[in-house]
Amino acid sequence: MARTVAMFTDVSLCIGCRACQVACKQWNQLEAEEPEWTGTYQNHAHFTDKSYRLVRFFEEKDDKGGLQWNLMSDVCKHCAQAGCLEACPTGAIYRTQYGTVNINQDICNGCRYCVSACPFGVVAFNHDTGRASKCTFCNDRLHNGLGPACAKACPTESIQFGFRDELAAKARKRAEELKKMGYKNAQLYGEDQNGPLGGLNAFFLLLDKPSVYGLPEKPRLPQNNVLVDSLLSIGSALLVGIGAMVAFRERGGKE
Amino acid sequence: MPLLQRADWPLLIDLYFFLAGLAGGAFVIATIAHLLGGERNRSVVRVGYYLALLAVIPCPILLIVDLGVPSRFLHMLVSFKPDPAIGAATINIGPFHIKPFSPMNMGAWALLGFSALAFLAALSVFLEDAKRGRNLSALRTTVGVIGGFFGFFLAAYPGVLLGATARPLFQNGSFLGALFLAVGASTGAAAIALILSLLGQEAGGTVGRLRQIIIPVLLLQAATLALFLLRVGMSGGEGTPQSLALLLSGPYSLIFWVGAVAVGLIVPFVLQIVTRQPGLLAISAVLILVGGFLVKYVIIAAGQVVLS
Ligand code: SF4
Ligand code: SF4
Repeated sequence: MARTVAMFTDVSLCIGCRACQVACKQWNQLEAEEPEWTGTYQNHAHFTDKSYRLVRFFEEKDDKGGLQWNLMSDVCKHCAQAGCLEACPTGAIYRTQYGTVNINQDICNGCRYCVSACPFGVVAFNHDTGRASKCTFCNDRLHNGLGPACAKACPTESIQFGFRDELAAKARKRAEELKKMGYKNAQLYGEDQNGPLGGLNAFFLLLDKPSVYGLPEKPRLPQNNVLVDSLLSIGSALLVGIGAMVAFRERGGKE
Repeated sequence: MPLLQRADWPLLIDLYFFLAGLAGGAFVIATIAHLLGGERNRSVVRVGYYLALLAVIPCPILLIVDLGVPSRFLHMLVSFKPDPAIGAATINIGPFHIKPFSPMNMGAWALLGFSALAFLAALSVFLEDAKRGRNLSALRTTVGVIGGFFGFFLAAYPGVLLGATARPLFQNGSFLGALFLAVGASTGAAAIALILSLLGQEAGGTVGRLRQIIIPVLLLQAATLALFLLRVGMSGGEGTPQSLALLLSGPYSLIFWVGAVAVGLIVPFVLQIVTRQPGLLAISAVLILVGGFLVKYVIIAAGQVVLS
């Protein structure tokens, strides 16, 4: 196992230029798509099978009645406990030696379970190939000692690439700085390896609470439900079994 | 509100969940009827096992049509993986993989096992019918009991599968597996009763005995449905009020209240209680089948809507 790598997206530095989105498309040779009118500068509304990086534009009223623009370059979180990976029935989704999460296109059979299982709405279905696709953390670049294309392209270093432990320390420092500068709600999302999903290998520095950025406040691993749901199903099965046995039992030839 | 992605599972999948549940339910009922006095319940055993086989045959076909390429279904069970890090508690045996925390993987195995056992059970009935003398009762007991466990699994796992997603309506419900199992049993029993009455074979109190299963199982269906809704409502999960509203008062409420609850559950239940008239009982059975399909359909449809 190589050392775990990470991406750190600092939204306070994002200027919404979408260089990351374009660099991702170029490096990964993702086709152009029809633009969508989302009501803001954001395009597209969701991740698609051809957009693995997505700059989100959230417009909010600020305290003074003006417009507050929250920008965030969103991406697959490469969760330490990944719902998509646990869900995948074929084993197409695997964890690389760098701790990232990848979909093996040769094995994926297009069942779309991962699409529903990702707590962040990341995986998208590719109707052309009939398979699921998402950010690969530029797996090819990674194996050749390069960071992901988005981080390389970002002009403001809003997206940074590095070893997870080093990057997390940097992120914590930056969050402190921002708080001192008066951004009271500045907070890290996914940096804590003891936090939800065992930490995210693509973590964020947000200027407000996660829901403002369309992120779940407390993401959960969907597979944590399997045990309880199964036990309740067994309870249901027992009741059906008992019911049927009562109905079919021998009743001394009556009826 | 977490921004989620549409999964777009088509109607084929609802149909598969319905048939798999019905097959599992019919098989289990046939097995119990066989264990507790095979002769008296013979017609239930025969119809139940034949029905289980007939209902499970289209299942892999539906899944393959959904996936588009037949060989891809096999990837659920076997594939040559360069990397074994494919999930918690995974068991890799050669190219095969068993993923206990992936209900879809477990369900594919269960479908395989159940199909084989349903075939054997139906074959045993067929052979016994063909050459009267031979008694295959002991074989059928083994096949029936093992297949019964698979049948329960097949009926319940789609609910557990949905529960293990990030959809607010599914993820916070806990009782979907239990509900789907009850629906499998009610639709299985109703289908057996319907076929027996169409064949005019409801002699010897079989329909009465089936009634005694249908009534408590419908109660279980109602209870697990109510518990599911309560659990979602009280979970406090993000997005649950909105998803619940879609089902209970929004665009899906008509199908839910009228189709799945009134026509598909309450009316057939009342009919089972108040009447013994074969025609009305047959109508009740049809309504149970309709209700069983609709309750699965409407929950899956409402849960898949992307909230914003
Ligand atoms: S963000 Fe979604 S797609 Fe990415 S690793 Fe986590 S669960 Fe998988
Ligand atoms: S769509 Fe492909 S990657 Fe996603 S769960 Fe199914 S087989 Fe796995």
